[in-house]
Amino acid sequence: MENSKDKTVKDLAPLRDIKSSPELCMSCGTCSAGCPITGQDGFDPRKIVGMVIEGRDQELVESNLPWLCTMCAKCEHACPMGINITGIVRTIRGLVDRDKVPGMIHKGVELCLETGNNIGLPSEDFDFIIEDVGEEVAEEEGYEEFAAPIDKENANILHTLHNKLVNTQNEDLVHWWKIFHAADESFTIPSENWEGVNWGLFSGDDESMKTVVGRIVEHMEKLKVKNLMYPE
Amino acid sequence: MATRSGLERWFPEFFDKYNAYTVFDLMKSYIEDGRIKLDKEMFTQRIAYHDPCNYGRKSEEKFGYGYYEEPRWILDQFAPNWVDLFPSKANGYCCGGGGGTMLTPFKEVRSHYGKKKIEQIKRVEPELIVVPCHSCHGQIQSSLSEAEMDIPVKYLWEVVADALIV
Ligand code: SF4
Ligand code: SF4
Repeated sequence: MENSKDKTVKDLAPLRDIKSSPELCMSCGTCSAGCPITGQDGFDPRKIVGMVIEGRDQELVESNLPWLCTMCAKCEHACPMGINITGIVRTIRGLVDRDKVPGMIHKGVELCLETGNNIGLPSEDFDFIIEDVGEEVAEEEGYEEFAAPIDKENANILHTLHNKLVNTQNEDLVHWWKIFHAADESFTIPSENWEGVNWGLFSGDDESMKTVVGRIVEHMEKLKVKNLMYPE
Repeated sequence: MATRSGLERWFPEFFDKYNAYTVFDLMKSYIEDGRIKLDKEMFTQRIAYHDPCNYGRKSEEKFGYGYYEEPRWILDQFAPNWVDLFPSKANGYCCGGGGGTMLTPFKEVRSHYGKKKIEQIKRVEPELIVVPCHSCHGQIQSSLSEAEMDIPVKYLWEVVADALIV
């Protein structure tokens, strides 16, 4: 008994190995109460968990429900049973036929696989935009020496880009460039596969998600970059 | 978040060879190491900071660490009048545009969620909203315009870049 003298029950009691199966749901409704879109278009996280338990997968797959959820995790953060509600939602999304995925999510993934970015921007256009915006930065006082580094080797930081900055918000490309310049940081932007956003996370498509993450690893190797700046 | 979880899941050896930093880690280290200097007179207005789910609650859940303090520390260095929304951090509300919902046609539900954020924003009466996420930026802008509120939304790295002393 001397050995356990300093130990409290808290130290000694084994932790419960919660696997948070949907079956643990108590139907308490905490998730639904916390979710801001409960009641919108029949949306209700408790109901989704209930349908999963009942095996009503097909109904879920054919419904809009998984696409209404923002996967914000407010529900599961409050769930007393630790049920992975966003994991359930993403899994349902992944079971939807790819041509039935609503809106741009899967189209963006397809474009990314084909062209290297979610908006299908050709590389000449990309190079032009980056150089052009880089030149604009260099016109500002204090940034005269700036040039946007495309495919520069041995840089310290790999900088991928959110497609919307390259598409409609070019003015927002400059902020990080200015910070890097002021910090005397060496960074590089890949000319191909520059997409920083991975919509496979949203569409529930692991295979595409892996391919897009793999491109980051390729850039690091090919351009001999030392460190990665997470795109998001 | 997608990249980090993907690397951890499918390319764990990546971390033996390289370091990976979030936007917060980089900005914070540049400020701490004196590599960038920020003008303290430029952002004296009342700024509301919004926590994105992915850097906060979801990072905490997935990686055991939520980026709550870093952005606040960064604002503390040059924007003395920033305020939190309530609730914030792990209990905060999504902007309403997470999970790719901005790419779907279900605009009404998205704008319903967005109203929750607008209520929070109204309560603190900010002159500027600062976010560290592209989706939050777009969604909050569109919710504000639906609510006919004229408050600018800027990226955290945008206010840092604007305040640079070069
Ligand atoms: S909060 Fe958790 S336990 Fe309660 S109803 Fe929702 S999923 Fe079930
Ligand atoms: S993750 Fe989905 S179900 Fe949960 S609170 Fe957010 S929107 Fe609601």
